[in-house]
Formats: sequence, structure tokens, C-alpha cells
Amino acid sequence: MSDDPVADLLVRVARQDRAAFQAVYIDASAKLMGVCLRILGTRSEAEDAVQEVFTRVWLRAARFDPEKGRGMTWLIAIARNHCIDRLRTRTEAKGMHQDDDEEAVAAIADSTPGAESRLIAAGEAGRIADCFNRLEADRAAAIRGAYLQGLSYQDLADRHAVPLNTMRTWLRRGLMSLRECMDA
Amino acid sequence: MSDLPLSPRELDDALAAEYVLGTLDLSDRLSAEARIKADPVFARAVQDWGNRLSDLNDDYAPVPVQNLLPRIEARLFPAPPRRRFGRLARWLAGALTAGALAVLALVTLPILPPAAGPVVAVLGEGDALRFEARFRDGTLEVIRVAGSAAPAGQVQELWIIAPDAAPVSLGLLQEAALQVPYPTLPQGWTLAVSLEPAGGSPTGGPTGPVLAAGVVGDV
Repeated sequence: MSDDPVADLLVRVARQDRAAFQAVYIDASAKLMGVCLRILGTRSEAEDAVQEVFTRVWLRAARFDPEKGRGMTWLIAIARNHCIDRLRTRTEAKGMHQDDDEEAVAAIADSTPGAESRLIAAGEAGRIADCFNRLEADRAAAIRGAYLQGLSYQDLADRHAVPLNTMRTWLRRGLMSLRECMDA
Repeated sequence: MSDLPLSPRELDDALAAEYVLGTLDLSDRLSAEARIKADPVFARAVQDWGNRLSDLNDDYAPVPVQNLLPRIEARLFPAPPRRRFGRLARWLAGALTAGALAVLALVTLPILPPAAGPVVAVLGEGDALRFEARFRDGTLEVIRVAGSAAPAGQVQELWIIAPDAAPVSLGLLQEAALQVPYPTLPQGWTLAVSLEPAGGSPTGGPTGPVLAAGVVGDV
């Protein structure tokens, strides 16, 4: 046993332990639903995504390595990646980013006091919160919005009314500063 | 941070960060995924960025979801889920050999839900549209017992409201009972059903009229 119960369960899931799989569902489904709903926006699509995510959890559990990160972090990464893939597929299928303008604006305005204080109150998030405070507020908000809502460069560029490549250069600088701060 | 162009190494690291962040378009995402599989150094950079940004995960608030496990298991394990129905399946096999086929055809077995437990709330008591909530073994179950489903293009969404708190969605009500894992019975909390656009409320809070409501434990 470790201090990471989800990781312990995932190691058992990798050995095809169905009871452990059910326990992972009980422990993580609400959190992963929160992730999917935030990124996808509608409950029915989020529920659909959660089913897909747990299917992948079962199939990929053998790739989970407790040495490399926490169990919940691994689960959330699967959920985020799946939901972002869905978003990008959806956007390209429609071939229109412009219609998402208002959504993107609403999404980036998500740097609400609530979100901010939750982050800080979490304590263990002290480091990233600290480093976010050292970034320009705009960049920090863009990085947070992208991560939490799955905003694309196109969404961000539309929001800031700048060309996509300008946005990309600008955000990359922010990411490099963030790394410098967090790895210090 | 200087304004010099990023070095090739920094560019790789930035790409790893962008992949984790999710800002890339589909084709760039797919090529990054291919590279994760082929390039251990890049894979490691992605891993590191995943861990760096994982503190942001605290910001994702948990959202209760109906029990999707039976559907997930049905997809992964094509044989009928043994955990709950194993004994029943064996009994059925016996019954079949006993020539009870005709009886069974009449019974028309839906996928049997677990025992629903006692009624803990009635939503819309005395109204034409009425729902009942039942609770047993950590599962809250809500089903429509009178009235009809929402008109086409709309859905009935279930909410739970703790005292002095905002409503939290528990899911969309269909013909079958909606099951939500709930560790303990939320006594005194309000359950409500609102009318929402297809797919459910886009805002995370109820947007349409409340169709029925009731208090847990108040039956």
C-alpha cells in the first residue's frame, strides 16, 4: 500500500481486477465527470465521454506507472485528452471557430475569484499558484483557461483579437516562464 | 524571460507543454501523440508538464453522475456482468431446462436494476407529473411515476439542493430510473426536476421551469 489509494487500485486494474475497476469508478467518476462537463459543456456529452474514459482506463491501466505520477493525475489526463480530442474533432468537422467566440469569451472570463481562491485554498497547489502570480495576469488566465476548459489557440486568438501565431508565441513565453519558476 | 527566439530544445519543451495544455489543433495533436510513442525524451517532457500543471486539477469540481458502470462493463466484458446477476443467470438456466420458456417470454426481462429501496422523497406530490426517489446501499434512484417525458428537443434534468446551496445536477431523467451513487441519504435536501434544452442545462444551473420538487425524508 502507498499514500496513493487510486494508484494502488490502478495497479490491480492492470492485473484485470474487476473489483478494483469498480472501486476506481466509485472514487473517481464524479471528479472525471467534473472534468468532462467543464470541457464539453453538456451533460449528455460529458456522460458519454466518461464512459469512454473508463473504457480506456481498463484497457490502458498497464501503462500506468506509480513512479511517474499520482493515480488521479493519470486518470484526469486521460479524461482531459479524450475531451479535448472530441472538442478539436468537433471544431474541425464544423470548420468554424467563429461561432465559438462567445463561448471562448465566457470561458476565458473564468478566472473568477471562486476559481482562484479554491486553487489557493487547496494548499498543495501553492507552488503553481505562486508561479501564476508571477506571470502577467493575462498569460496566467490564458494558461488556466486553456488547461481547464480545453481552449484552442484559435479560441484564445479570437478572444484577444490577435493572430494565432502571435498568441502562440505569447503563450509559449508564459509557459517557459512558468517552468522556470516551478522548477526553480 | 528574454525575447530571443526559443532554442530547438525549448521548442520541443514548449510543444510538450502545448500538448498537455490542449491548445493544439487536431493535426498537431495527432503528430504530438505519435511522437510521444516514438520519442522517449519527448514523452518524458510531456510527463513532466502533466505533473507541473496537475495542481490545476484541484479546480475541477466533482460533479455527481448517474451510475454508468453497468454500461461501461457491458461494453468491456461482453458476457453478462457476473457480480450482480450470476446467481440469477444460473437460476434462469435451470428454469429454462425445466421448460419455463413460455413464462419467461411473458416476463420480458429488462436489465434488472438492483433493489430500489424505500421511497425517500416524492417530487410533485399530487401533481400530474410526479417522480419518486428511493434509496438503498449508497444508491439514490429517481424515476417518473406519473406524467410524461419532456417534449422533443427538451429533457427533464434532476437537481439536488443542499440547504443554502446552489442546485447541483444529478443527471438527465429518461424512461428508466436514474441512479446516482450517494454515500449517505441526504436528509432534508431538496430534489427538483427542471425542463432543459436537449443535452441538459448548458450553464451548470437550472435554466428552465421547475416541473416538480420534493424534500428528502419528507414522505
